[in-house]
Amino acid sequence: MTSDSKRKEWKVSGPHLKGNEIYHMVYDRRNGAILASTTSGHWGPTVAISEDMGKTWKESKTPPKFPKSSGLSVARVWHIKPASEDEPGVVYAGVEPACLFKSKDGGRSWKVNVSMMKQKTRKKWQAGGGGLCLHTILQHPRRPNRMHIAISSVGTMRTDDGGESWRFQNRNVLAEFQPNKYPEYGQCVHKLATNPSKPDVIFHQNHCGVYRSDNAGEDWIDIRNNLPSRFGFPIAVDANEPGRAYVAPLEGDFSRIPPSGHFAIWGTDNSGKEWFKLDEGLPSMSYYTVLRDGMVADQEDPCGLYFGTTTGQLYASRDQGNSWQNLSDWLPPVFSVSVSST
Amino acid sequence: MIRVRLTAQLRDYAHGAREVELDSASNLRTMVNKLERYYPGIGGRIVDDQGNIRAHVNVFVNSENSRELKNENTPLRDGDVVHILPSVAGG
Repeated sequence: MTSDSKRKEWKVSGPHLKGNEIYHMVYDRRNGAILASTTSGHWGPTVAISEDMGKTWKESKTPPKFPKSSGLSVARVWHIKPASEDEPGVVYAGVEPACLFKSKDGGRSWKVNVSMMKQKTRKKWQAGGGGLCLHTILQHPRRPNRMHIAISSVGTMRTDDGGESWRFQNRNVLAEFQPNKYPEYGQCVHKLATNPSKPDVIFHQNHCGVYRSDNAGEDWIDIRNNLPSRFGFPIAVDANEPGRAYVAPLEGDFSRIPPSGHFAIWGTDNSGKEWFKLDEGLPSMSYYTVLRDGMVADQEDPCGLYFGTTTGQLYASRDQGNSWQNLSDWLPPVFSVSVSST
Repeated sequence: MIRVRLTAQLRDYAHGAREVELDSASNLRTMVNKLERYYPGIGGRIVDDQGNIRAHVNVFVNSENSRELKNENTPLRDGDVVHILPSVAGG
C-alpha cells in the first residue's frame, strides 16, 4: 500500500508473490529495493527482491542455505534487516531453525553465521509454538559490530564483534515454563524494539512479561505494571519519543485473545512505568491477534503506527496511536507489517 | 538419456521448458545436482539444504513415486522419465 506524505489515502497494489507465505518484507532505503521473505509450501524458502516497488521480483541467486555438514535445513526466513548506510549491500536475515545469515550484495547471496550455527548450547534449544525462529535483528546505528538478536524460545543474544561471538542476555527475564525460572537461556522473547537515538534502551515483549533494558541488554527491568496482561507479541517504539512504546496485549499463553474481548494497543510515555489504552477507532468488541511483526512504527513526526491482524484487518494511526483508521478488512492473515518513506 | 518433466512452477528456471533432457544420472540425487548445474536455482526448490526431497514435492520415476522406491537414492537408467510435481497439500 502506498500513500502521500499525509498518510491518509492509501492505494493498494498486488497481490504480489502469489502463493507464498510472506513472513517479513522490508524496504531498503539505501538502494530503494524491497526484500521479502517468501516460503512456498511446496518449493521451500527464499528471499525475493524487487527494484521497482513490487512490479517485478527476482529470487536470491543463492538463498540462505545451511552447509550440508550442519545437518540443518532452512525452513523459512523470519526476518530481514538491511544494515546501516555505512555498509552498502549488507543485509542480515534471521531464519528457522534459528540462525543468522549475512548478505553483502543486497540479498542476492547469503552466508551463514558460523558462530551461531555452532553455538555450544544449540542442541538444547527448544522450539516455541511457532518454530525455532530468529525473528528480531537490531543493529546499533553507530557501532555496526554490535547487534542484538532474539530467538523463540532461546532468548536474546548480543555480539560486539560483528557476529564472531555471541552471548546470552536474559538476566532477570522470567521463563515460567522452566524449573529454573531465570535460566541463562530458554526464555521466550517475542520481539525487541529500540529508538535509533537511544539504541542502548531496548524494549522487550516476552512470553512471560514486558521488559526494558537501559544498558544494551545487560539487565532487564520488568515494566508490565498496569498492563492488562504480560503476554503479547509485537512491541514498537515511537520514532520521536524514545520513552514511548506500544504493545498489543493478549490474555495469556493458553488463551490468546484480547483481554475482555476488546483488542487495544497500549502505550507508555514514561518507559513503561505506566500504560494507557489507545483504542479510539477500534471496535468495542474484537478478538484480533497481532503477530510479532504485525505492528510497526514509522519514522515520521508525529509518529505513525500500523498493525495487521491474523483475521485480515489493517489499521493505521497518524497520531501515535491516539486514533485509528481501518485501512482494510479483507486481507488474508497478516504476518508482517513494514513501513517506510521513499 | 533421462527426460525430466517439470511442473509449471519450475519451468522458469529452465527458460520455460516443460521437459529437459540429461545425458545420464545414476540416481535422483545426481539428477538434481545436474539440474542445478544447468538451471541454477531449481535444485533448492526440489530438495532441502540436506539434499532430501522436500516434504510436499513428489518425484516420480516412470510413474512410481520415489518415496516408495529409494527416495533421493532411487537409481535411474537410460530411458527413464522423471516427473517433478507438487503434492496435493491442504484442502
